[in-house]
Amino acid sequence: MAITEKNISNRLYFVAGCMFLFAMAVVVKLVTIQVVEGDHYKKKAEDSTIRNFVIEPNRGNLYSDDGSLLATSVTRYDVRFDAVTPKQEVFEAHVKALSDSLSLVFGKPSSYYQNLMRKARASKNRYLLLARDLGYTDYLRVSNFPMLDLGPYKGGRIVEQETQREHPLGAIAERSVGWEKFNAETSKYFGVGLERAFGEYLRGKQGRRLKQKIAKGQWKPITDYNEVEPVDGYDVVSTIDINIQDVAHHALLTQLEKYNADHGCVVVMEVETGEVKAISNLGRTKSGTYYERLNYAIGESLEPGSTFKLMSMMAALEDKAVDTSTVIDTENGVLRFYGKAVRDSRRGGYGEITASKVFEVSSNTGVVKVIDEFYGDQPERFVNRIYNIGLNKPLGLPIEGEANPIIPYPNDKDWSGISLQWMAYGYGVELTPLQILSLYNAVANDGEMVKPRLIKEVRQWDQPVKIMEKEVLNPSICSKETVKKLQSMLKNVVEKEHGTGHRLYSPNFSMAGKTGTAQKDYRDKSKLNYISSFVGYFPAEAPKYSCIVVIHEPDKSVGYYGADVSGPVFKSIAHKIYTNSPLIDTVDELNKENKPALKSYEAYYAKVRGSHQAIPDVKGMSGMDAVSLLENLGLQVEVEGQGRVVKQMPKSGVKIEDNKKVVLKLS
Amino acid sequence: MQAIFNNIKGDRTIWAIVTLLAVISFLPVYSASTNLVYVVGNGTTLGHLIKHGGLLAVGFGIIYGVHKIPYRYFKGLSILALPLVLGLLAYTLAQGTTIGGANASRWIRIPFVGVSFQTSTLAAIVLLLNVARYLSRIRNEKPRFKDSILPLWMPVFLVLGLILPANFSTTAILFVMVLMVCFLGGYPIKYLLGILGAGLVVFAMFVLTAKAFPGVFPNRVDTWISRIESFTGDNEDASDNYQIEKAKIAIAQGGIVGMGAGKSVMKNFLPQSSSDFIFAIIVEEYGLAGGLVLVFLYLLLLFRIVVVAHKADSVYGKLAVAAVGLPIVFQAFVNMAVAVELFPVTGQTLPLISSGGTSIWMTCVALGVILSVSAKRQESLEQEEEMNEKESNPIAVLSE
Repeated sequence: MAITEKNISNRLYFVAGCMFLFAMAVVVKLVTIQVVEGDHYKKKAEDSTIRNFVIEPNRGNLYSDDGSLLATSVTRYDVRFDAVTPKQEVFEAHVKALSDSLSLVFGKPSSYYQNLMRKARASKNRYLLLARDLGYTDYLRVSNFPMLDLGPYKGGRIVEQETQREHPLGAIAERSVGWEKFNAETSKYFGVGLERAFGEYLRGKQGRRLKQKIAKGQWKPITDYNEVEPVDGYDVVSTIDINIQDVAHHALLTQLEKYNADHGCVVVMEVETGEVKAISNLGRTKSGTYYERLNYAIGESLEPGSTFKLMSMMAALEDKAVDTSTVIDTENGVLRFYGKAVRDSRRGGYGEITASKVFEVSSNTGVVKVIDEFYGDQPERFVNRIYNIGLNKPLGLPIEGEANPIIPYPNDKDWSGISLQWMAYGYGVELTPLQILSLYNAVANDGEMVKPRLIKEVRQWDQPVKIMEKEVLNPSICSKETVKKLQSMLKNVVEKEHGTGHRLYSPNFSMAGKTGTAQKDYRDKSKLNYISSFVGYFPAEAPKYSCIVVIHEPDKSVGYYGADVSGPVFKSIAHKIYTNSPLIDTVDELNKENKPALKSYEAYYAKVRGSHQAIPDVKGMSGMDAVSLLENLGLQVEVEGQGRVVKQMPKSGVKIEDNKKVVLKLS
Repeated sequence: MQAIFNNIKGDRTIWAIVTLLAVISFLPVYSASTNLVYVVGNGTTLGHLIKHGGLLAVGFGIIYGVHKIPYRYFKGLSILALPLVLGLLAYTLAQGTTIGGANASRWIRIPFVGVSFQTSTLAAIVLLLNVARYLSRIRNEKPRFKDSILPLWMPVFLVLGLILPANFSTTAILFVMVLMVCFLGGYPIKYLLGILGAGLVVFAMFVLTAKAFPGVFPNRVDTWISRIESFTGDNEDASDNYQIEKAKIAIAQGGIVGMGAGKSVMKNFLPQSSSDFIFAIIVEEYGLAGGLVLVFLYLLLLFRIVVVAHKADSVYGKLAVAAVGLPIVFQAFVNMAVAVELFPVTGQTLPLISSGGTSIWMTCVALGVILSVSAKRQESLEQEEEMNEKESNPIAVLSE
């Protein structure tokens, strides 16, 4: 064929042209990827290589009222061992020494650890647990052990750290302190106890940091700063007194277990300030044990029953519907309204008794009769009394989940002909235990209603962020006379033999309060159950603490009366507080000057101060003073008798010689 | 410097392009070396940079050395080298070294130097030069197929057969290049089609044998199949898909001007970011602009190769330049085509840019051959000029 050079060139142009087209195809594809598929792949890049990392804030500390640490966050370390990473010679050189060190710290024999590690190496275990939940100092110590001190890449050390919530006081109040966790799915916090209640302050705010994935599953921060800085939680100084809390918790637990009740709560409050000194909410679990569960005291409103009679009596006394000595016929224990009966717990009623006694024996018919007769045609006047005190409004606690009270008003849709009468003894209204306690606390506090407080102070480091001052909800819920009358009735409930709370009576310390045995689910007789409560304060004369105990659904076969079920909790709290803080009798005369004693001391002092070459005259001095004076001068003293010196041998003025004997006669 | 400059012969533009590519190559290689250092735990970034610089320096020495050889010597050298190359290929295949746990029997270690060496790259140059030599020898005859079997096709199929088990893509590219050179050299197209058909049959038999008797001889048939499948989209979860996707993410992230030198993110996720997928990293860091500059440089190289071939003073010169020059450009575009998913994944490096070790040197040998041809042309031109000056024949200049 004979190829010519020109031919070759032409063919070369053709081939080069093809390659040029190939290159153009590459360029077109390149542009296509960037323009058409660009966003898709950019998003993919972002999805797979950039992530927002959450930086957890440090949770604040929780303190009791005296500054004891109830809960704090502590970093704990787990130390593990990658048994494959260390080289054979490194492993052999150090395994013995490491085992010895571990044995020294954790107690198990050295051979145990050596076995463990050799086995792990044989089975290629790269995640052998050596020590769990170490504190920082222990962690430092363990990481400096032989082999582990070579670090993760040569020594196979693996350290995992985690923040744990610790309760330095241990089991005391641990349940009440509770916990709080975050549910990532619902993005809501959940938990129990004070941790949950104060969560808003303690939590802090999560920070955020953008990180980019680099190889090996590691992430590097993209910027030098955090996109969102984490804000540490505040410290909360609660009003909780750990001793009272502990007593309250255990007293409640004992009664709940005794009566196999469904759940219960107890709140102890300082009368004057409204500081909640103890709050415990225990509910029965499936296995029959009791745990801090829901915040019943704050979140669960209930029909108060007899404890509400205090309100009725207060209204009646204020409106002068009755006086304490007014005699009321309890109508043989049954009173009917529109076919519905109000019954007394004692069949046949209490006969004709004073208004005061109506309250003390907790006569339903008596109370209802008083309210019905006076307010029957003006129910709004009665309800207005309640509204004016402020019981229809929630207390406004800085805690989530406070239940709203329900107190119907006469122009409400569901107000009926018996609403007033039933309200008179605590049905048809709903209040939370803490709201009832506030009412009783106001009576104990001579009419001043204070807002219950669980938090004394919210702090950031040592700087207070928010100080919760005493807050007065109502400076005077009723007249002073009425308060006095109510106080004496409440005292009588416990003190008088006919009082429903007399079983709690103790001659050693005085208490005042009211029992409540409210029916629950009474619309269906088969489900009928009780809420036993006791609310009051102590000491009766100068109230320091008020306290409410509410126990739901006690076992009816064991008992259900407020005085039996809830009363003992109240009593043991009162008892414990009394023994822990004994009354102080102040004796004014203690520092009064005793003139004769002073005079004799001054005389003695003058003689001591003087310089003595000769034996001083000690006649008239007390024997004790005379002996010390003379012996300090280097004389030997012999004493006969008791009392003051009447005679001394040798006489005063004789020159002092060492060890000279002086005889004193006292009488 | 001036002395070096005076000693440099051949097409100055090619020298310039090669130097430019070599200088540019430091940037992506240095950037992508963090992947090797951090992920594979191999060496230091500075170490990789120095190694790359060393390889390039030796490469330039090779270019210089080779281009000083008058190109007619390549005829004899290629004949002599052929048995040596066949021996090396057989040895490579037999020992089956793995490099960095990555690939199969493509490399041998050069004793004492401690560098691994991909024998197929040397074989390609030697084979193509042989093909060019044969075609130029028979340029005045009407070639008969029968006659060409022994001198032309036997070496071709021996070399290809020894490369194929370990490296399909190189075999295929080399085969295409051989066909191309034959086409340029005027070898009858009907025979070429026959050879192409025969090549496909042999390949099909090889694949079927390998599938039927796995483990009888070392091969990568399964890898090829999965790569082809992942390219056509049948095999969604293959690791090549992962590579391609990461490459495309890199290209997409680059945009017009790129993320900036060293700021590539995807280099950490592309296993071959410093060699096979370096183009994606270049586009990520320097954008579409950087990619186009690179395409332009290779096209310029192609243009100069065509010019040198065109001006070469003999048929052998023309064919030799095309035979060793076009594969460089072709390989460059294949490498880019893989990154943009125009081609299935192959192990082809980007010539002069990738830190592909000794593959740079073989590219340099090829460039040396091209420059040698171009230098001869210059020499003869100068001689003619001298003669013209002596004879002072002004018309001779016009005849140029």
